[in-house]
Parts: sequence; structure tokens; C-alpha cells
Amino acid sequence: MLKRHFPLLIVLMLVTLALLLPLLLPWNYDQIDWDAVRSPAFSGSHIFGTDEIGRDRLARLAAGTQITLMVAIAAALVSLIVGIAWGATAGWIGGRVDEAMMRIVDGLYALPFMFIVILLMVVFGRSILLVFVGIGLVEWLTMARVVRGQVMALKQRPFILAAEAAGTPSITIILRHILPNIAGVALAYLMLTVPQVVMVESFLSFLGLGVQEPLTSLGILVKEGADDMDMAPLGLLLPGAVLVVILVCLTIEGERLRDRFS
Amino acid sequence: MLALITRRIMTAIPTLLVIILASFFLMRLAPGGPFDGERPLDPATQAALQQAYGLDRPLWEQAWLYVSRLVQGDFGPSLVYRDFTVSELIAQGLPISLMLGGLAILLALAIGVTAGLFAAVRAGQAADKTIMMFATVATALPTFVTGPALALLFGLWLGLLPVSGTGEGITWLIMPVVALALPVSGAIAKLTRAGLASVLKQDHIRTARARGLSETKILFKHGLRPALVPVASYLGPAAAGLLTGAVVVETVFGLPGLGRYFVQGALNRDYPLVLGVVTLYAALIILFNLFADLIYGWLDPRMREG
Repeated sequence: MLKRHFPLLIVLMLVTLALLLPLLLPWNYDQIDWDAVRSPAFSGSHIFGTDEIGRDRLARLAAGTQITLMVAIAAALVSLIVGIAWGATAGWIGGRVDEAMMRIVDGLYALPFMFIVILLMVVFGRSILLVFVGIGLVEWLTMARVVRGQVMALKQRPFILAAEAAGTPSITIILRHILPNIAGVALAYLMLTVPQVVMVESFLSFLGLGVQEPLTSLGILVKEGADDMDMAPLGLLLPGAVLVVILVCLTIEGERLRDRFS
Repeated sequence: MLALITRRIMTAIPTLLVIILASFFLMRLAPGGPFDGERPLDPATQAALQQAYGLDRPLWEQAWLYVSRLVQGDFGPSLVYRDFTVSELIAQGLPISLMLGGLAILLALAIGVTAGLFAAVRAGQAADKTIMMFATVATALPTFVTGPALALLFGLWLGLLPVSGTGEGITWLIMPVVALALPVSGAIAKLTRAGLASVLKQDHIRTARARGLSETKILFKHGLRPALVPVASYLGPAAAGLLTGAVVVETVFGLPGLGRYFVQGALNRDYPLVLGVVTLYAALIILFNLFADLIYGWLDPRMREG
């Protein structure tokens, strides 16, 4: 168990650190230490040094990881809800409705979606709420496809036919009999959606369109680090490494879970 | 084949129109305009500018005008880069973006298919597991991390490659293309391996073996072609991913491609520029999906009818 889920353990460890560190560190993520601007690693109370305006790197890293994961989980949940609602409706009703609903999904898949999200961010200001609603609305497509496939398959099973024959209303069948049976697959895809969302959020923040200062996220930290990498490579390498580790670990776990259910 | 192309073009037109109109009205909902500078313009100048660019007319009329000019190939003037039309900006930026994207997809195909092939031949062995581990890691590498990291390592520390801009020769292309290609190559490697591993278990491969064909011939002539079908269907999403990735790569490496114009244009409320780039991107993605379908049909003749 421990060895098999090593990637998940790493992520959980990072999450714990991100939650605990801000409580333990003497510095706040947006607090400026005027006596230690650009201090190197392991100097005084700054374990990883400070950035170009004297903010503690470790505190910023912890705060950024928190925000990135929070946005990711919220957006993944939005995509889960929209995806299940859309996919289950299409799969359950079937026929023309299904055809039309899935055509819309196919059509949306082909769109340059990131560009629409970028437009959304520009248009409606860059609130953190909008960041995850916007991302969630983009990432539901795969979930809808998967859920629809599952519902189509389940619909033919005897226990569903029996429930229908007994006169159970559709909504009850979906909630009581279908949803519990697709929970595993949905969980696997939820886990794969989280790294996707982390990627999109960081991408937007990197371009200056996502989370805004004074809040910070891994994408913003990577951007700040990249701008200053000739002076302080640590500023790029630390958040970059945390981001890549989170993405890789969640992808490995998600794919493993998906393969188990399909 | 021709039927497929015509049908695709017929569905492409309404799709494009929806994208254009959606982006058009979305942009206009945004507060602020292209002429909001540091100092507010005096109201008369502001009004004159609005009138000159037709921004004072009703929205639907502007939308209609935009689309009807677009049909004639006129993308309109840029509102922020005052001396340029959008067509001129696109003509400057598009070749760079296309070169980046095109080279990246070729590199990703070369690396991905080769790696997937090796892994499938050694299915279940250590080599297979190692390659697949690397592929998973590669798919999870965001360009905005790999880009700066490559620039730091090869540009600043080793001094082998230029850190930014389009210098002499082709060395400036290496890092942007590698950063773009890495995640795509990982995905292609996985798809190739999965496809090939299942094809190699099929009857026609066993028959070919029984008839004494060499392993290389079996692999390349009978195995690879059907195995690449999933790869072909991935090319459409991959193209969309590359275009988005190009935005980051162009920003990181300071390349004057379309992606940078798009981000700058969106921030500056340069309506015609943003609309032009979105339209172009959408058209490119639709075109590439069609292209991927044609490859698909070539790989698997059963698909040609559908």
C-alpha cells in the first residue's frame, strides 16, 4: 500500500507542508524583510533565502502551493459536477438528445479553448473565483464523455431495467443506482483533471492573467523566478520543481486509477 | 475523400462564425477601451477616434461589418499598433508560430513513435517500464517550467544556446521547439505503445510470423500502421495544445510570434488584433483536425466512408 501509492504520499506530504509551514515560519508570504533583500539560501531565518524585494522564498512557496491546489480542487469539482450532469443526461435520455449533446462536446473539443479562457479573464477582471469557474468550465468535456459512456453501458443492465419496470422515476434511478456505479471511474478522471487544472491555472498566472498579487500561486512564482533567473536561479527552480512533482505524481496516480476501472 | 473534405468545410464555416461572434461580443463586454492611456484623452478626440474606427455604431452593426470585411480577407486596422493593419501583424507573427509548432510536432512524432515502438517490442520488460515512466513525466512537464529551465541550463550556465530572440542561424529555435515538443512526445509514446502492443497480439500478426516474415517487416509493415490510428486522432488536440504552448514559449524566449500579439492585444483591448488571431487559430485548428482525419483514413481504410 505504502509503496504502491508513493506518488500520492509525496503529494500529501507537500500539501501538509504547504498547510503547516505558514504557521511555523517567522515570515509571512507578503512580508518584506528590509534587512535581507536577495539573501542567499540558509541565511538567518530564511531557509531558502529571499526574493528580489526581500520576501521569504519558503513562505511564498508554501502560500503559492496552497492557492494553486485550492484553485485546482475547486475547478476540478466544477468540472466534475458539470461533466456528470451533462454526460449522465445525454447517456440516460439517449437518441437525438444524446446525439446533439455529444456533438456540442465534440465541437467544443475542437475550439482553441485556452484563448477563450484568456479572453474571459481579460473581460471579467481577474478574480480568483473566475479563475476556477473558467477553468472548470473548460475541463468538463472529458468527464462528460466518460460518464456518458458509462451510463450508456449501465442502462442495459438488468438491475436498471428492473428499477424502470418497477416505476422508479428517472431522477431516482440516476441518483440511487447509476451514480454510485460510476463513482470509481469519475474519481479516476477527477484525479486526472486536477493536474490539468494546475497546469491551466499556472499557465494563466504565468501570463499575468490568473491569480493576482498580493496573492500568489506556483505559476506566479515560476514567472517571478524566470524573470530573475540570472541573479537567483533558486527562485525559478524551487517553484518549478514543486509544480512538476505535483503534476507528475497526480498524473501517475490518476492513470493507475483509470486503468484499474477501465 | 472529397465528400469528407466538403462536409468538414461546411461544418467549419458555422463553427468559425460562432467563435468569431462569441469573441467579438465577449471583448466588447470588457470594461475599458483601446484608447484608455495613462492620461485620459480629451472627449472630442476620444469621440473622433471612436468614430474613425466605427466604434460608435451599434454593436450588431460593427459585428456585421467585421464579418463582411473578414470574408474579403480584411482583418482591419490594429488599434494599438497604430501604423499596422492586423493582416500585417499576422504576416509577421504567423511564420514564426507556424515554424515553432510545425517543428515541435515533427520532433514529438519522431521521439514519441520511436520510444513507443521500443517499449511495445519489449512489452512488460524493464525497458518498457522505464520508457513509459519517462513518457508519463514528459506529459506532465509544463512548457512554462521547461522553457525557463532549459534557458537557465543551456543559455545562462552552459552558454551553448541563445536565451532569447531570433538570432543568426537556427540555434534560437532549438530550446523553444524542445520545450514545446516534450509533453506531446510523451503522449505520442504512450499512444503508440498501447496501440502497437494490442495490434501485435492480433491474428494477422501471428499469421505473418507463421509465414516466416522477419520481425522488422512484421513490425513496420503490418504492426505500425494500424497502431498509429490512435496517434492520428490525437493530432488534433495536440495542435491546439501546441498553439497554446507557443504563447508561453514566445513569451519566455522573446519571439515575435502570434501568441505574444494575442496576449498583448487582449490586455490592450486591441479588438481587431485579438479577433484576428482567435479567428486564425480557430481556422488552423479546424484545418489541422481535417488533416488528422485524412491521415486517419489513410491509416485505416475502414474509416474513409464514415
